[in-house]
Amino acid sequence: MLESLVISLQLALVTTIILLLLALPLAYLLAFKTFTGRTMLEVVVALPLVLPPTVLGYFVLLMIAPDSTLGRAWSSVFDHSLAFSFSGMVFASVLYSLPFAVQPMQQALRAIPRSWLEMASTQGLSLSQTLLQVLLPAARGGVLVAAALSFAHTMGEFGVVLMVGGSIPGETRVASIALFELVEMQQHSDAWLLALILMAVSFVMLSLVYTVNRQGLNFGAGK
Amino acid sequence: MKNRFQITARLGALELLAEADFSDEFIMVSGENGAGKTTLLRCLAGLEQAQGQLMLAGRVWLDSSAGFVLPPEKRHLGCLWADTALLPWLSVEKNITLGADRVDQIWLTRLAEQLEISALMQRKPHMLSTGEAQRVALVRAIYRKPVILLIDEPFSAQAPAVRQRLRSALKTIQAELQLPVIMVSHDAEDARVLADQHWRMREGRLMTEINQQHGVIHDAGERLA
Repeated sequence: MLESLVISLQLALVTTIILLLLALPLAYLLAFKTFTGRTMLEVVVALPLVLPPTVLGYFVLLMIAPDSTLGRAWSSVFDHSLAFSFSGMVFASVLYSLPFAVQPMQQALRAIPRSWLEMASTQGLSLSQTLLQVLLPAARGGVLVAAALSFAHTMGEFGVVLMVGGSIPGETRVASIALFELVEMQQHSDAWLLALILMAVSFVMLSLVYTVNRQGLNFGAGK
Repeated sequence: MKNRFQITARLGALELLAEADFSDEFIMVSGENGAGKTTLLRCLAGLEQAQGQLMLAGRVWLDSSAGFVLPPEKRHLGCLWADTALLPWLSVEKNITLGADRVDQIWLTRLAEQLEISALMQRKPHMLSTGEAQRVALVRAIYRKPVILLIDEPFSAQAPAVRQRLRSALKTIQAELQLPVIMVSHDAEDARVLADQHWRMREGRLMTEINQQHGVIHDAGERLA
């Protein structure tokens, strides 16, 4: 039981870190740039919000199967297959929680006053200086919310990780799946404890989100 | 250094039509509200899309016929707008030196003294009055030693006594750095004390009304049309 919880936490942590790095450029593009395929990109990013997790899990499984291009490339570099592994679950989780990372960042970036962006350009700041010294600090609330939601959402995954990970004990059996199996085996006291812990994690994360949203850590909106 | 522009721009209801050449001098822009003063400055900064030619500090900034536009971040500007755009999480000093590789402490100290913000350097923007914030933004514009200073009513929030001292400080700085300054102002005293050249705008047109050196009166708008 404890083992599954550790795997869940590891998965959520790794996924969140990757998502923050990946979502920032995406959020930047969606917040500030107009380009062909923009709507398409927004739809693809939002898709995991409405897609049944099993559908996403199934497609990911096809993508990373040992005989797929990605699967073969992976096993030639690392000596294990991507499917039914921790790395495979990370890959799926990143896709699954993408909207939870991109959307808060996108909103926070959009809330930044235009005058700040203009100031950055007339003061001669490079793109990386603008990003690190103006946009990121201004949108830090959005980044924090993105991290908290990605973490909580990854902790709460079931269908996707079951499909892609296969519930191998000590490897890919995460807490939410372990809970399901505990209930099936009628181990009620363990199930109860695990459910309580998962509930607490979500509660803490959402409290953080609502606190940040209310206190407006994003300098952009008002201040 | 000779600077020259001949630009047109359309922004909402406003049609801007402006032409002028000037050296490294102090230029005062006046005109009624909505005449296009701020728009002209924004076009020169590259913040609004304009057509035509713009040559500044020996460099081409805009040449529509060749499809060339130098982006604002490459123009080495000093700008001050009505919205001072000070970043609330940075101290005054950090706001001023934002983007600089290293801080020229001597220059910074001197500028801060001249424009009366020495006591404010460690404060955060929310602890500044409107007038103080405006002076900080002016120092930020000048600190990087820009090739041109584009300032939109830089003294609007200053008390009369401060305004007078700032005028002479700004004049001193302009003479020392030998940079062209284009300043929007409604204050006749600003024009009297500071202006080498006076541009008057009317309905989006720049009329080079008084050329103090030559005493020539001409209408740039008509010449373009």
